[in-house]
Amino acid sequence: MPEPLQNEAKQSPYEKMLQDCLRGELRVVNTGLPQSQKRQSKENKLFYLLNEKYPHVVCNDGSTHFFKKSELEYLASMLDTDEQETLPLPMLIELGANQAEAAIICEGKVEEKVISKALNMPVTCEERRIRIYKPQLALLRRKFKTTTVYVFSPKIVA
Amino acid sequence: MPELIKVRPTKIELVKLKRRLSLSQRVQKIVKDRLSILSMEFLQTARDTVEAKRKLLDELSKLYKALSVAAGYHGYIALEKELIATEVDLKVTAGLGNIAGVRIPSFELMGNVKPMKGYNLVDTSSWLDRAAQLSEESLRAIIELAELQRNFELLAMEINRTKRITNALEYIVIPGLQVTIKYLNMKFEERDREEKARLKRVKVLVARG
Repeated sequence: MPEPLQNEAKQSPYEKMLQDCLRGELRVVNTGLPQSQKRQSKENKLFYLLNEKYPHVVCNDGSTHFFKKSELEYLASMLDTDEQETLPLPMLIELGANQAEAAIICEGKVEEKVISKALNMPVTCEERRIRIYKPQLALLRRKFKTTTVYVFSPKIVA
Repeated sequence: MPELIKVRPTKIELVKLKRRLSLSQRVQKIVKDRLSILSMEFLQTARDTVEAKRKLLDELSKLYKALSVAAGYHGYIALEKELIATEVDLKVTAGLGNIAGVRIPSFELMGNVKPMKGYNLVDTSSWLDRAAQLSEESLRAIIELAELQRNFELLAMEINRTKRITNALEYIVIPGLQVTIKYLNMKFEERDREEKARLKRVKVLVARG
């Protein structure tokens, strides 16, 4: 397939509109992601969020993503203190090219434990991803409404 | 029937159209993925809203029964006097969440607030305690329902918008581009055939001459 035009000066208004639409859609769907440089910071970990009065993280667009205390407490009840210090929030759910399944991006064993306990079934982490199916995704989202966010990866449309 | 896009029948235009088509298909894929997620969230929110509404109605009916029993036991004036003392400010945390690009509100009652426990426990009966406990539960149910209903509305609006984009791409933009590309390809093939026929004709003329 031909690559989209890189040089904007040569693009027609029609192509520009489509390009803008693509960029706009990607921007809109990924606005809820936490700022990448702060993903590994202390402030994004469950343990520190639990002690905050208004637990939240700053998103890519500068807005804030609010966490419910009840959800954080539920998460904390599943984990011990050491694990709480390593669990980054929000958990990222990546949507794949195959619409029937989704993947949870995990950086350690903690996410695996949380998902396994929430879904009440064993899950395995492969290549930093925990693969789950749509019904499980619905169940997970029901339990963790504010502590999970969707990621739309640009590579799925490449 | 998709309409032909008015372009000059040149190879450059064909390349440009192919690029447009590729781009449109990428946009369509993102929008479709997003629509599927929004629909899933919408259905889940609808189910939760119905459940929350039913729960709230149950809580309220129980509360009114308990309150009327308490009013019967204490008398309206005495009950009102006791309840004046229960007036406390509620603290509700309001924040914003995000579902696939839709900013949704999130409400939560702060801490273990006991907004209805300000009355004198010595002079009142357990009927009033029961009514107070039920009113707290109703309050939580009201906050939960408020959040869910707003989410429901916002998701529905976004689904409508996204569906319009998907339909425009699926039924107008992409078919239009495909038809135009097909038309241009046919035109070029026709031109090649004409060229070949012309060359043959010239060859014959040259051979005769």
